[in-house]
Amino acid sequence: MVWLASELMFFAALFAFYFTIRGHEADLWAERTEMLNVPFALANTIVLVVSSVWCQLGVLQAEKGIVSRPAGSSLTRVAAWGMREWYVLTYFFGAVFIAGQVYEYAHLVEEGVTLASDPYGSVFYLATGFHGLHVTGGLVAFLLIIGRTFTTRRYTHAQATGAVVTSYYWHFVDVVWIALFIMIYVLQ
Amino acid sequence: MRAMERIGILIGVFAFAVAALYGAWTGSNEVGFEWVGVIGLILGGLLGFMIAWYLWMTRRRLERDPSDDPLGDIDEIQGDYGFFSPHSWWPLFLGAAAAICFLGLAVGWWLFIIGAFFAVPALVGWTFEYWKGEHAL
Repeated sequence: MVWLASELMFFAALFAFYFTIRGHEADLWAERTEMLNVPFALANTIVLVVSSVWCQLGVLQAEKGIVSRPAGSSLTRVAAWGMREWYVLTYFFGAVFIAGQVYEYAHLVEEGVTLASDPYGSVFYLATGFHGLHVTGGLVAFLLIIGRTFTTRRYTHAQATGAVVTSYYWHFVDVVWIALFIMIYVLQ
Repeated sequence: MRAMERIGILIGVFAFAVAALYGAWTGSNEVGFEWVGVIGLILGGLLGFMIAWYLWMTRRRLERDPSDDPLGDIDEIQGDYGFFSPHSWWPLFLGAAAAICFLGLAVGWWLFIIGAFFAVPALVGWTFEYWKGEHAL
């Protein structure tokens, strides 16, 4: 939690960075923000927010000690899902978010906005890129947490704690994205 | 835990108050509104509130925390604090692999990729150290 608080200050620097440069380069901002695909980014944001909901459903199962659906239960019976199924779903949603971000970057680079092209490019890619790296790190953590559930016969308290801590991180990264989305796409 | 919670709230309230004051002051002079400090202070306040909120959540879950009891004794807080690894070589490997990766950022992506080949087994090895084999929990 203390580490997450320090992460908050790291992103604070990126937010401050954005607004400072924006204040100095109003003309550039008007030109560059035209290029943003807001509906696409909104859809991508919803994917990430929904992934947090799946993650929390996984946490509820982890706290009950239900690691996966009982043997023989069909995958389509969502009510019987354990923590593992929900975390796999969270992973997919997170991966879609990252794929969407890569797609968006590809379009912006095509239009000539790169990390080195102008101040807007620098702050845009640094802020969203660092967030993207955090999401990628979260995805790796999910893989490790899911992988760990296969190693023990009994679902232990230590396993559940790991799952819960990962969910805290995931929710944090999600909330940071909502703030970034408001800053970059709504306020522009 | 209550005392720690209050420290977090205090940090939050103080930083929010200073953010409002700072924003008003910088906004009223001719140079204009200063973003860096205002955002830093607001998120600094959230930092305090976030820790307080977490401690509050944890306190609600636990039955009773002897540190909140003015008549509590030191020995009441004994028990398991968590799992502490007696020793592990994996952090050394992971640290070395991370160093190669970061050197790669400066030198070239080829070195980063070589570093990643060391980092992945180190990360997996560390994570699974106490989940497989003779040390399994």
